[in-house]
This record gives sequence, structure tokens and C-alpha cells, in this order.
Amino acid sequence: MRTILIVVALLSLVLLMLPSILFLAGRMELDTAKWIMLLATVLWFATGTPWLWKRTG
Amino acid sequence: MSASVQSCAQKDTLNKFGRATRDLIRKDTMSTEQQAQETQGGSEFEREPVPQNRLLGFRSFVGMYAGEHTAGTELMIGPLFVAAGVSAFDVVVGLLVGNLLAVLSWVFMCAPIATRARLTLYYQLEKICGRKLVTLYDLANGVMFCFLAGAMVTVSATALGVWFHFEMPALDDLYPNSIGWVIAVFVSGAMIAVVAAYGYEIVAKVGEVSAPWMVLVFIAFGLVGFRQFLDATGTQITNLSDVWTVAKTHIWQGGPPHPGRVKFTFWHVMFFAWFCNVAMHIGMSDLSVLRFAKKSWYGIASGTGMFLGHYLAWLAAAILYAFQLHQDPTNTKVLPGPLAYQAAGLAGLICVIIAGWTTANPTIYRAGLAFQAVVPKASRFWVTLATGGIATVAGMFPAITMRLLDFVALYGLLLMPMGAVIFVDFWLIRKLGLESSFAERSGAAFNWAAGAAWLVTLAVAWILVKYVGLQIFFVSLPGWFIAAALYVGLSVVYQKKFRPALGQAKPGPSVVQA
Repeated sequence: MRTILIVVALLSLVLLMLPSILFLAGRMELDTAKWIMLLATVLWFATGTPWLWKRTG
Repeated sequence: MSASVQSCAQKDTLNKFGRATRDLIRKDTMSTEQQAQETQGGSEFEREPVPQNRLLGFRSFVGMYAGEHTAGTELMIGPLFVAAGVSAFDVVVGLLVGNLLAVLSWVFMCAPIATRARLTLYYQLEKICGRKLVTLYDLANGVMFCFLAGAMVTVSATALGVWFHFEMPALDDLYPNSIGWVIAVFVSGAMIAVVAAYGYEIVAKVGEVSAPWMVLVFIAFGLVGFRQFLDATGTQITNLSDVWTVAKTHIWQGGPPHPGRVKFTFWHVMFFAWFCNVAMHIGMSDLSVLRFAKKSWYGIASGTGMFLGHYLAWLAAAILYAFQLHQDPTNTKVLPGPLAYQAAGLAGLICVIIAGWTTANPTIYRAGLAFQAVVPKASRFWVTLATGGIATVAGMFPAITMRLLDFVALYGLLLMPMGAVIFVDFWLIRKLGLESSFAERSGAAFNWAAGAAWLVTLAVAWILVKYVGLQIFFVSLPGWFIAAALYVGLSVVYQKKFRPALGQAKPGPSVVQA
């Protein structure tokens, strides 16, 4: 379970960066990029929180 | 902090270092009585060197510095550079050199003392200066923390403005300009103050969880803003040279500053980047952090904070503000909330709120503890709450935030002389035939040599700024040498004529060698 959380959390960080890179490359609309960044944010806090919260004691 | 070092996995190390960083915030400004009580409770080496088996690895410091220096106020500083009319070369190279000098200051000024003495700043200062002078230092520290927290509350409140559409302050506003703004700052500040009063553990954890996400959102701001420039100017990028052309012709144009602002040159940027955290490196606040480092070169970990927070984040925020000006040159407002929202939508707004909140909260907590050290009998809860109230009121006045560059320079200048005192006391003073840790050895509660070195340095700095015309960004460097020379000269007089040191006293921090 913990491994899944870590993998999803790390993937959410990739998902967070990808839209801005695609927008920079002219391959994505800004509105779409904003929604994906929000989704990535929700994913990060949903999966990163239990992972890092536990780790930081 | 309780780390078992070599045998522990990274998980354990980070876990314990997280506690260490929180503890140093909690305890570094604590009164002597409080620290003594906690030490008796067997906790965190506030009044003794950190033992070898409690030292931490390099990676712990990398994460801590990256998180600590990616704060809400970074979203103000980058735009304020643009408002100061800085050019692309000056900002890109000036920040590079200034941040490098800051890292070197951590490595060669702060870390060597931290890893030899392994004491908190507070205890090191108490040994040199005496309890009363340290209390005065605490008071100054607390006041500056209060205003700094106020600026962070302001940053968070700008995010609320995007949702509730009230009038927000302009670049030159000194006073609150709408009831909506006052209410937004009050709500933000009150929440932060209440959480700080109850304890900052949860917010500290939120900060730790948010740090990697926040750094990436800051970078996304820059990428999005840069593309918007390309679209707005019709520029095609085919190589790096094109990127540089956009940077110098559209983003950092290097023209005149906004009215009432100081024109920033390479030297302004370099000195600002170097000295904006002068309290921590040359001012020695980070003795409390780096005392846990196995090696003094671990100070290089500060590079993550400098080059992510004070380089990429500042440049990214500057790009957003420059784009706002490109769209509407009359809109000079520096408002992180709207800037972040137009670049990254709700994720950007969340970033502004969390960045402001997670940094304001421990700052208020730290200010509260500093004030409590002055009034040790007062309840920590109420002192912290009152401190949060002061920070909230300060946050309502945009003058502090809109003049953040000047305020940060002042903050560093105010605390820096004590760093010079520690440096001289540790490395030089015994070679000059004088006693180190004089307050501890003599029993003095107020070492006048250190106190006068501090206050006279500040007076000289004020004269240099007020009457000589030297800008505040440049006085910390000569100020350090003035403080060091004064401390040596005054110690000669003070130690030999007024307070002969007690020969039998126990050794001070400078003889606790690793």
C-alpha cells in the first residue's frame, strides 16, 4: 500500500509539471493545463500526505 | 531531536530532523529557565553540545533548506525586482553570484562554528553576551519576526481577493484601502495566529508535505508566464539566444524603476540575494540548525533553498508580474494571488495560501517565543496569540509587503552584528589575549562590549544610510567589519579594566571542539 502511495504521489508531481511544459511547447490550452494542475495537486495531497506525514513523525 | 544516525534508514533521519527543525524554532528563542527545564526533561541539547551519535546526514539538510526558502514572500520579491527596473543580465547573473555568496557564507562562516561548538545560537550568545543582552536581542528578533509574519499574512490574503473581489492594495499604498482587504487579512491572520498559539506541529507537517509540490508550482508559474509572453509578443523560439532576447526586451527591460522605487543594478541584486538571509548565515541563526551536521561542508545544502527558492521562484514570479505589466502597463499592483491564479488557476491560489500560511505560522510562533523570553511569566498561548494579532494588524498595512526588499535588508542588518560578535569570539578573541564566552566566565548578565558593538554598528549603519546616502542594501557588509572591530576594541577595554574574567570558570563554546 505504501509503495502504491509513493508511486502515485511521485506520478502526481510529474502530472503537475507536464501541463506547464506542454503549454510552453504550445501543445496544450492554458485552461486545460490549469485543471490538470489542480487534479495533480489533489492527487499529491491525497497520496503524499499519508506518505510524508508518517515519515516526518 | 533523537536521531540514531548511521544505522537508521533515511526515513528515521528525516523524521528526526523534522522534529529537530521544529524544536529549534520552538526552543532557540526560549528563555533560560524554560530551556533549563526542558533540558532537565532530557530533550534536545539546548544547553549542551549535540553529541556525535545524534548528528545527521547531508540529505536531511537538503530538504530542510529547500522547503524553508520557498515561501510565500518569494512571490513578492521577484515582482519587486521588476518594479525596481532591473535588467535581465543584472537579475540573472546578480542572483547567481549573490546566492552563491550566501551559500558560501553558510559553508565558511556559520557551519564551521556550528559543527565545532554544536550549540544553539541562543546558548552561544548567552555565553558571550549574558542573559540580559540576549533578551534584548530576542526582543529585536521578535519585532522583526512579527512584521515578517505580517508580510506573509498579506501574501495569503491576496489569494482571498481573487475569490471575493474586494479592492486590494496598490504598489505604493501605505494603508489598507478597502474594508474587504482588512477583513481578508484579519481572517487569514486570525487563523494563523490561533493555530500558532495552539502549536505549529500540524502546520509544520503541512509545510513538509507541501514543499516538493510548491517548488514545482513555482517553476510552473515561470513556464506558463514565459509562454504567455511568447504568445503576446508573437515571438518564435528556436534557440537559447531567442529566450535571452525575450528576457531582456520584454521581462527585465532594465528601464527606469517605478516611481518612488530605487533603481536596481547588478550590485543591488547581488547584495540583496547575499544578505536577505544574512541573519541566518553571517548572523549565525543557523548555528541551531547546522549544529546537527556531521560535517561543516553540509552548509552547502543551503544551495537548494537559494537556487530553488531565491533563484527559480524569484525569476518565475517576476515573469508573471512582467506579463501583467505587458498586458496593462498601468496595473502595477504586486498581488501574488491574482498573479498565481492567472498562471495556474486554483492550484496557483492554493500554492499562495499554503506558502503564506506555512511560513507565517512558525514565524509568529517564533516571534511569540522571543517575546515570551522577555516576559517569561506570561502564558505562551496568549503571548503567541497577541503576537499573531500584531502581525495581523501589520499585515493590513501594505507598506511592509510592498517595501519588502527594504524591510528584508533592514531585518538582516539588525541581527547581523551579533553574528560578527560570535565569529570574533569563536575564532579571534583568544588569539588576541582576551577571553571568549566572557559573560559565562565573568558572570556578567550584559556584556557591554558585545552590546555596544551591536548598537554602535546599527547607529553607524543608520548614519551611513541617512546622511552619507549609502543604500540599505549595501551597509551590512561594512557593518560586519565595524561590528567585529568594535567588539575586539571594546573587549580590550571592557575585559581588562571593568570585568576581569574569572580564571577558574569552565570553558566556553569555543573550546568545545569537534
